[in-house]
Amino acid sequence: MRNFFIILFAKILNVILKIARKQGGNILGKIALKLNKNLLKDFKVNSPVIAVTATNGKTSTNNCISYTLKQAGFKVVSNSEGNNMETGIVSTLLKNCTLTGKIKADYICFEIDESYVPKIFSKFRLDTLVILNFFRDQLDRNGEVETLILKINEFLKTYEGNLILNNDDPNVSRLGLANPNNDNIYYYHVDKYKYATQELKEAGEGKFCPFCKTRLEYEFYQYSHIGKFHCPKCNFGENEIYKFAENIDLEKRSFDVSGITYKIPENSIYTVYNHLAVLCVCSIYNIDTEFVLKSFKDFSLNNGRSEKLEINGSNTFINLAKNPTGANVSLRILNEDSSNKDLLFVLNDNIADGFDVSWIWDINFDSLNNVERIITSGTRAYDIAIRIKTSGFDHTKIQAFPELDKAVDELYSTTNNKYVIANYTALQPTRNEILRKGKIL
Amino acid sequence: MKELKILYLYPDILELYGDFGNIQVLKYRLEKRGFSCIIDSYSIGDDEPNFNDYDIIFSGGGADNEQSILSKDLIQYKDKIKTAVKNGVFFLLICGSYQLFGKYYKDVDGNIIPGLEIFPYYTEAINDRKKRCIGNIVISANINGKEQKIIGFENHGGQTYDVFSPFGTVLYGNGNKFGDNKEGFFLDNVIATYLHGPLLSKNPELADYIISYCLNRKYGENVTLEKLDDSFENLCREQLLKHFTH
Repeated sequence: MRNFFIILFAKILNVILKIARKQGGNILGKIALKLNKNLLKDFKVNSPVIAVTATNGKTSTNNCISYTLKQAGFKVVSNSEGNNMETGIVSTLLKNCTLTGKIKADYICFEIDESYVPKIFSKFRLDTLVILNFFRDQLDRNGEVETLILKINEFLKTYEGNLILNNDDPNVSRLGLANPNNDNIYYYHVDKYKYATQELKEAGEGKFCPFCKTRLEYEFYQYSHIGKFHCPKCNFGENEIYKFAENIDLEKRSFDVSGITYKIPENSIYTVYNHLAVLCVCSIYNIDTEFVLKSFKDFSLNNGRSEKLEINGSNTFINLAKNPTGANVSLRILNEDSSNKDLLFVLNDNIADGFDVSWIWDINFDSLNNVERIITSGTRAYDIAIRIKTSGFDHTKIQAFPELDKAVDELYSTTNNKYVIANYTALQPTRNEILRKGKIL
Repeated sequence: MKELKILYLYPDILELYGDFGNIQVLKYRLEKRGFSCIIDSYSIGDDEPNFNDYDIIFSGGGADNEQSILSKDLIQYKDKIKTAVKNGVFFLLICGSYQLFGKYYKDVDGNIIPGLEIFPYYTEAINDRKKRCIGNIVISANINGKEQKIIGFENHGGQTYDVFSPFGTVLYGNGNKFGDNKEGFFLDNVIATYLHGPLLSKNPELADYIISYCLNRKYGENVTLEKLDDSFENLCREQLLKHFTH
């Protein structure tokens, strides 16, 4: 009975928030959990629950899964706005349940913050867990990557549902061995792409075998520590592959899986990985390839994550980077475009970003391809300017403007292609400023 | 052409907080002034380096797990590293390496990772994994007879005890221990500190102190360093000092 009133109250509050044009992404959950901290246990769920976790790519991948399932005609409940901690999950469920707590959906799709996987799924149904990658990320907030992985590993020891794992990330692949009794492990692997390297080019994790501590050997690195690896001593990494992407062609924006060519809107290697993970989910749930093909071709988030815009005649590419790998993949996209470019890098150090900005030194700014100017902005505009200058980029071509409007004005003083990288709290203000500049907002 | 040789220890293992930036800053400031800079690296499995052949030896911080793997490797060079310190080779040691050059590091689970015992301090982690000294930090250090504000970021669980010659006095942040007023360890040719940032990126005067020290030692003269355009660094320092100390 208590839950009835909690749900009723949340629904009324949700209506009020809607009228006030507030999203209330976490607030409903926050209040409801105060009233019943085990509320997650009490929802009645009869549909498969699919969850995506990772350091990078959660929102895009989860939204692409939901989009594809919707294309195939299913009713999907999802935390598509990216509220991925317990309060966000509960909010999403409260908005989509009946007064008795029943979730009416064909599928429930969640992105989950890495550190919340055990907490949420010790109380809520889980059928399929997708793990994309683990990178160093806001170390001052999250601690060491290893601590996080051990936490998820502990949870997986008793988990028997589907587990979809990126076999090219040693720290993800190792989780397939957490529960030897789980037969539902699906590994995916992406074949070498054009810009893969023999040596690690960007900061990476997991250099040693987690089982026998031997140094791992790599056949190639795609980006960061993602690549084809194995342990020379205990053969860790040599798994049977469920889905294998090959003929990766970023110019044509396509890749092949089992002889079928998939087109995607983005031209970066990391999105190939994310799409392959979506493909694994769809395959497990027998979603017709026709829907997957169409969804991959059409789906894009348009929220500043890998977004393309035309502003005052300049092609503009905006991407989020809250850790070195996020920035490095954006710089890969920039370097793979040989035209003349300007780069804007916006770096904040607000609470949600982490106060420590030393991660920018793990970004590879070496040999930027045809970058004419770099403009920096944000609360730590000077830190990123120093970082770029030290990498050897001509310091007279770097301009630092802590004020965002000045930075964006300066950016559009030429018609070069624009690349914009912004960290977490910087992303939406930067995107808004750019849209205003282009009179789109 | 005058040159300095830098040895980077365990670049593939001790590289958690962008500490390699310190070497990049040194290289940048040397090359801008027409000096050359050679960077060699050493890691597990490589041939033994000649420590005395270098002007600067740098080592950074890493994850706990990886630190214990390399402690075993490093200890085989204990005597040779001691000699290099005595000979005046400059050592810049950040975080985990700071700890490894002391007597020992006791981790959260109580395991003792032996140190090189080159300096008499020791480090013990707090029993609680979640309790770490994390945040921006400003210290005052005596560089070339002048008190300088040094800015960095600390993130360490280890509490370092028995430091007879600290790097500086804490103005903002923690230091060697929670709520300590001293940070790091400092001799003429050794700076061992918890300051990430990387340290030298925000403290160009400190970078130049190391460069002068090494050039003077190597070439036996008083080298005067040409002034560089540090406008980004100065604006950065101004902004951060205002932000932290107000």
